[in-house]
Amino acid sequence: MKPSTLRRLIVIALIALWEILPRTGLVPELFLPSLSSTLKAGFTEAGEYGQALLVTLYEVGVSMAFACGGGILLGALVGSLPRPRVLIMPMVSSLYAVPLVILYPVFTVWLGIGSESKIAFASIYGFLPTMLATAAGIQTIDPQLLLAARSMGATLTQRLVRVVLPAAIPTVLSGLRIGGALVIVGVVVSEMLISSAGIGYLISRYRTILDSPHVFAGVLLVLAMAVAFNAAIKWIERKCAIWQTGTRGAQATDDDVATGAMQPAT
Amino acid sequence: MERMTNTLARIAIVLALFALWEVLSRMGIVNPRLLPSASDTLATLCDLLRRASVRNDLLVTATEVLAAFALAVPVGALIGFLVAENRYFADVTKPLLFFAFSIPKSIFLPMFILVFGVGFSQKVGFGFFSTIFIVIMSTTTAVESIKVEYLTVARSYGATAIQTAWRVYLPSMLPVLLEALRISMIFNLTGVILAEMYASRDGIGHQIATWGENFQMKQLLAGVVMIAVIAIAFNEMIRWVETRCSHWRT
Repeated sequence: MKPSTLRRLIVIALIALWEILPRTGLVPELFLPSLSSTLKAGFTEAGEYGQALLVTLYEVGVSMAFACGGGILLGALVGSLPRPRVLIMPMVSSLYAVPLVILYPVFTVWLGIGSESKIAFASIYGFLPTMLATAAGIQTIDPQLLLAARSMGATLTQRLVRVVLPAAIPTVLSGLRIGGALVIVGVVVSEMLISSAGIGYLISRYRTILDSPHVFAGVLLVLAMAVAFNAAIKWIERKCAIWQTGTRGAQATDDDVATGAMQPAT
Repeated sequence: MERMTNTLARIAIVLALFALWEVLSRMGIVNPRLLPSASDTLATLCDLLRRASVRNDLLVTATEVLAAFALAVPVGALIGFLVAENRYFADVTKPLLFFAFSIPKSIFLPMFILVFGVGFSQKVGFGFFSTIFIVIMSTTTAVESIKVEYLTVARSYGATAIQTAWRVYLPSMLPVLLEALRISMIFNLTGVILAEMYASRDGIGHQIATWGENFQMKQLLAGVVMIAVIAIAFNEMIRWVETRCSHWRT
């Protein structure tokens, strides 16, 4: 059997098990509601979920602008200047070890339980990895390009805008992918902890009243969001890869690399 | 020499940040009730560390973290090893693992509460769940980082399976594995603390969430500093071992 066929069979079997196990009572409905009842729960409360989705998407959008914008900018700056890079990068990567969730209570005290605290938390959550990835990517730029630009008398801004940024686009995109995924996680997690709106809030509320189908409908919605975001970034990556390499053949190998890219998300 | 100046500069940056924190709060530029000064926070931290309840919370969290780690690392390493060694199995499962790796784990936290309740097993379970995928992925990478030439040489000299494992696999994989341990510990700690903050009766994460809800800023900030210091210290420790291990490696 071909690997891809077996893989498809496994996925189908998992989905089937999701429906069968709860129905036959092998797994209690409380632990794992069947797929059909989850979808039904989602559709009957579609209005409520839609409203929550809008809130969450708004928060994700704003935080992404902060996290990715700031992360890419600072990462490019720190990565392209040798002195700050040697000095700051080890500090930033040890800061990365801190479980940032503990900052969320601080933000709720400062900014209240509305959207602001979620945006602040998710921005910081996504900021560090984006910055690390961008700074690392900037370093992999072919020094020959920079040397050529410098010998032709390019200023620092010109070097940044004309050489460093275009050459760094693949890395920036992978940074965007990691940062964006983390922003989604950050928003949903902070909504789950303390909030009054959004999908995370719905998940938490239905969890406290032990309404598993509704909890799972929310979880599915977040999953869909994460998958859609991933697909969008992949699509952009493909668009960029075309002008970068020029050939379709090279693009195929690029895709292989992209699927192998590490992307952590807790 | 240059490393010395770098370290000094780094210490200076950290001190400057603390000084800025102190000044902002003391001068009343930000409300001291929202941001107690650095010295007050550090004093509170010392006070907290003397309290039996806080120590107990730290102990609970440490036990949960270690239990989850002790479960996730061997299981994950075994799965990762099997995936990397068997080509067909790898082709089948890798995309699935990548998918599982890339989806946010924290949204499954409510599920762990529904299944395990609010207690020790739920924290360990969630920590395990948020760690295992990264362990699997890193082990796969570690196995793939072994040079085929080494294996060929070992085999042609007639090394036994144990010898190959001990002399070729382990030394080649060690640096990648240590890196993996470091990163999985980050994930593990985040997972356990998140689980504690979300719903718990004890543990330091729960304590921090409670301080936040009661607007006890001094205790809250002290807790944040405490966890940050512990996490960074552990991280740097493994990194130090990492550099020692890669010394003899070409």
